[in-house]
Amino acid sequence: MRFLGNARGAGGDAGPTVVPPRRRLADADLTGRDRAVRGALLAAALVPTLMLLFLAAEMIREAIPAFVYSGTNFFTGQIFTFGNLYITKETVHHGVLAPHGASYGALPFIFGTLASSLIALLIAVPAAVGAVLALTERVPAGLQSSLSIFLELLAGIPSVVYGFWGILVFGPLLAKHVFPILTELGSVIPIFRGGVGGGEGLLTASLILAVMIIPIIAATTRELIRTVPILAKEGALALGMTQYETAKVVTIPYVRRGILAAAILGWARALGETMAVLMISGNLLNGFPVNIYSPFSTLAATIVAMLDSALTDATGMAIHALAAIGVVLLVITVATNLIGRLVIRRVSGGAVLPVGRGI
Amino acid sequence: MLMESRGTPPDVASAAVGEGAVAIQDLSVRFGSTQVLKGISAQIARGKVTALIGPTGCGKTTLLRALNRLHDQRPGFHLDGSILLEGSNIYARGTDVRDLRRRMGMLFQRPNPFPQSIAENVSLGARIHGLWARGEVKARTEGLLRDVGLWEAVRDRLGGTPFMLSGGQQQLLCMARALAVEPEVLLLDEPTSSLDPHSTGRIEELVASFRGSKTVVFVTHNLQQAARCADEVLFMMAGEAIEQSPVRAFFDHPGDERSRAYLEGRTA
Repeated sequence: MRFLGNARGAGGDAGPTVVPPRRRLADADLTGRDRAVRGALLAAALVPTLMLLFLAAEMIREAIPAFVYSGTNFFTGQIFTFGNLYITKETVHHGVLAPHGASYGALPFIFGTLASSLIALLIAVPAAVGAVLALTERVPAGLQSSLSIFLELLAGIPSVVYGFWGILVFGPLLAKHVFPILTELGSVIPIFRGGVGGGEGLLTASLILAVMIIPIIAATTRELIRTVPILAKEGALALGMTQYETAKVVTIPYVRRGILAAAILGWARALGETMAVLMISGNLLNGFPVNIYSPFSTLAATIVAMLDSALTDATGMAIHALAAIGVVLLVITVATNLIGRLVIRRVSGGAVLPVGRGI
Repeated sequence: MLMESRGTPPDVASAAVGEGAVAIQDLSVRFGSTQVLKGISAQIARGKVTALIGPTGCGKTTLLRALNRLHDQRPGFHLDGSILLEGSNIYARGTDVRDLRRRMGMLFQRPNPFPQSIAENVSLGARIHGLWARGEVKARTEGLLRDVGLWEAVRDRLGGTPFMLSGGQQQLLCMARALAVEPEVLLLDEPTSSLDPHSTGRIEELVASFRGSKTVVFVTHNLQQAARCADEVLFMMAGEAIEQSPVRAFFDHPGDERSRAYLEGRTA
């Protein structure tokens, strides 16, 4: 039982089942200035919550007409077009008016967002965990911190720089030297079959996304690995296990769920990444990529790519449609973030793997 | 006898109990500029229990961990002198550290089972060292769990996590894990310091049962425990070996004024 001090020392009869009250000043002890500070802090604490609620409410309000116009077609349709913005003819669906020929089928974008971020995750998680294990277990302590800095610097590079590098250097390089080799995998995995294109597409974007989320996953994993008790690792070493076997038998199982949570946080980042993906996605509209090399598009990239022309839609539906895409993205991102945080909380809650509880 | 001595070379098995299995020769250890062990020489008798005792911070654990080279990765670790296991220097170039650690099993101050299933905790080491054939894993795991007296408690949850066991049961599991790789020497680093009296008794019984078959080095703070379990006592103080004597002689007639002072609770 923990004893958290009671400011007045009153009521010292807390039985074993009574949780001691958290230390807190009574209102009477507060000066006017204290109250003002408390009010300001409370307001500051509420800002993020209110921001999220306000943002979500505005986005949903903005998106409703597009959802009404499209119905389920928004989630199942493949054709995304604002219609003919240059003639006055209009189409009415479910009582909502839009330019002639307008269709807001966002399925390819939903697919592109999930596919690129999941492929990125598949690449980034092993890379990040491997890098961290190498850093924490193999590299001498002095070198460790300087190498860690580079890992963290990766997170600070603006995404437009990644995109620029991707389209100019990385994509063409992959298309010329790497993708042709990967097509060999096509005999086993169909999505690796077919033409490799010029390097703008799903795999290039996923690789860039992977590089962008590796620092997030690595930083979280590093903190988790630091919490693994040395005694637990020594048990494995003392049994004659190598460092590799120790990592496999002790370290990784200890942090497995934490890595899952870190991956979910990285995933949330990959889902929302816009600029780099827009630049190297190849921006495919109205269809799905035919293989892992081909162009595609994501929810986030589409909003940026089409915002300009959407503003010219006199009926305003194009903007509603982009807002609807934003809502879908928001829901996916918030959901993954929340799940990640829930998992992390369960991991750090202490109920997972207490070492050597003793008596 | 508890363990069959399959992994023990025949010449060792036939060698006489009481001779030196481990010879520590003028051993000094420092970490950076901190000198922890100062010129220790001692013989660890084969098939006997040698208790390492001495005040906190005297270097008992450091000495114990030098025996299976567990300091190797520590920054600033520097060792002079030599430790001979059956005549060969374990710090010599080309020593197979994996095999050395297999031959020197270890139990720690707190139980540290692997985050794996209970059965895997016992079998992983033996499988990694290639000691068990695939078909005998189950039977051997059961045998070891029976040897340490844990079988009845865990037989229904071999696939479950070891962290649901009591601390004493976890330590017994660690003992089974250590025994699985058929060590010649057991290094015990205050293995009962976090255990209840019953589990402590069980560990002490096991240690007693090793007599004659395994060499045991037992670090303990508990003088009664040393008196109960040990054949020999190596008394250390401030990084030096003060006295090595048979257990009765040590407690009845300590050969050094500092030993006497320690036993009487005085600071020399």
